[in-house]
Amino acid sequence: MVNLVRAELRKLLGLPTAWVGLVLGTLVAPVVVLLNAPYTRRAIAAGTLTDTSDLGLRDLGIGLIGPMVLGVIVVSSEYTSTGRDAPGARQLTATLAAVPHRLRLLAAKTIALVLVVAAQAAVTTAATLTLTQALHGEHVPVPAPARVAAAILYWTLTALLAYAITLITRNGIVPLTLLIINSSVVSVSYLLTKVTDLASYLPDIVGAQMFIRESDFPVEVPPVTAGLVMTAWIAALLAVGAVLFQRRDA
Amino acid sequence: MNTVRAELRKLLTLPSLRRTALLTWAATVLLTYAYASAEASGEKLGDAALAPLGYTQAGFLVLGLLAATSEYQEGDQIRATLLAMPRRLPLQAAKALALAALTLPVATATAATSTLPAGEAARIPAAAAYLTLTTLLAAAVATVVRRAVPATIALLGLYFIAGPLLRAGSPASAPYLPDTAALDPSHGAAATIAWTFSALTLAALTFRRRDA
Repeated sequence: MVNLVRAELRKLLGLPTAWVGLVLGTLVAPVVVLLNAPYTRRAIAAGTLTDTSDLGLRDLGIGLIGPMVLGVIVVSSEYTSTGRDAPGARQLTATLAAVPHRLRLLAAKTIALVLVVAAQAAVTTAATLTLTQALHGEHVPVPAPARVAAAILYWTLTALLAYAITLITRNGIVPLTLLIINSSVVSVSYLLTKVTDLASYLPDIVGAQMFIRESDFPVEVPPVTAGLVMTAWIAALLAVGAVLFQRRDA
Repeated sequence: MNTVRAELRKLLTLPSLRRTALLTWAATVLLTYAYASAEASGEKLGDAALAPLGYTQAGFLVLGLLAATSEYQEGDQIRATLLAMPRRLPLQAAKALALAALTLPVATATAATSTLPAGEAARIPAAAAYLTLTTLLAAAVATVVRRAVPATIALLGLYFIAGPLLRAGSPASAPYLPDTAALDPSHGAAATIAWTFSALTLAALTFRRRDA
């Protein structure tokens, strides 16, 4: 198993697109905090920003494109054609020749993805929160360790969400489009909460309540329940993805 | 003219394009409904006629990039295409024309879906033109990138993450971004046109010079 995970890690980190996700996801949030600093300082001074305990944690959301790209690319790279002279060949054929046991392969892939994304999330969260403290330290309380851990968990689960959807669709474009639109300023899920309260239980909305306090969602979910609901979503989608991966022709 | 007809037939027979167009339209219906209910409950989330299109323009980006990258997927259809039509610049022009002809009806239907309920039918032509230009821009970028997933990341990242961030950070940059016109047509129309035509020119030049 250790060898499998090492192999999957090397495959993932050998993809140029994965590095785009890694660099982009790690740098965007801290850079946004830095660029928004003058605006935030004015808002605090003017008193329009009353609850500052979410500052920094809230800015993390913009970097989620990193875990999304990583989660998608780890699967979709297996399904892209390997070369123009062998159009039918895909990397997955070679992967399965090396590891015929499909669920073991999937487990190794999942572990490799979780390791990379958790490391990325830890670095980004640390950088973003340290920067927030350095810039607005006197106004912003240091967030509790549990909230920081929840933010890292949210990043990891988001990557797994992208990964599970890609396992089902076997194509990177659908999950990327869905997830990137949904990470825009006013997300589609947030709009859906205006239609039905049930939309508050969509994974991205409920997951954010693990570490963000101030929110205008119609249903307030306590952090632990929020984490469980989001994990249940991911587990269900992963189960579907795993069954399909096990049963479908490669 | 024959080339345009051939390119159009190639595009019309791609199932992925049909699916994308259908999903885009369905998403527009859903979002228009969501905006209407938000407004009914007394919440103003933005311009209900254009805001849904701000999201579903993603569908048009995907439409354009799928149309362009379909030539480079398994089997390398581009080689057969170039064998039939070796003059690359006219071929590239025919591709753009065919894509525009295919997109315009879809764009008009999508624009009508979101503007008619808001009672702003006069905005349909501008919105449809914007969506068609956006599709062409995506196709041009994808012609340079050639691979679907990286092109998706680049385009959606620019339109949904970098664009909004830049506009929020420095409002002065808004008139120069290609996607400002989606929500604010009077401000960004020139930028959309300029970006699209420069991207098309760049794509045509790289397509002409590069090995297929």
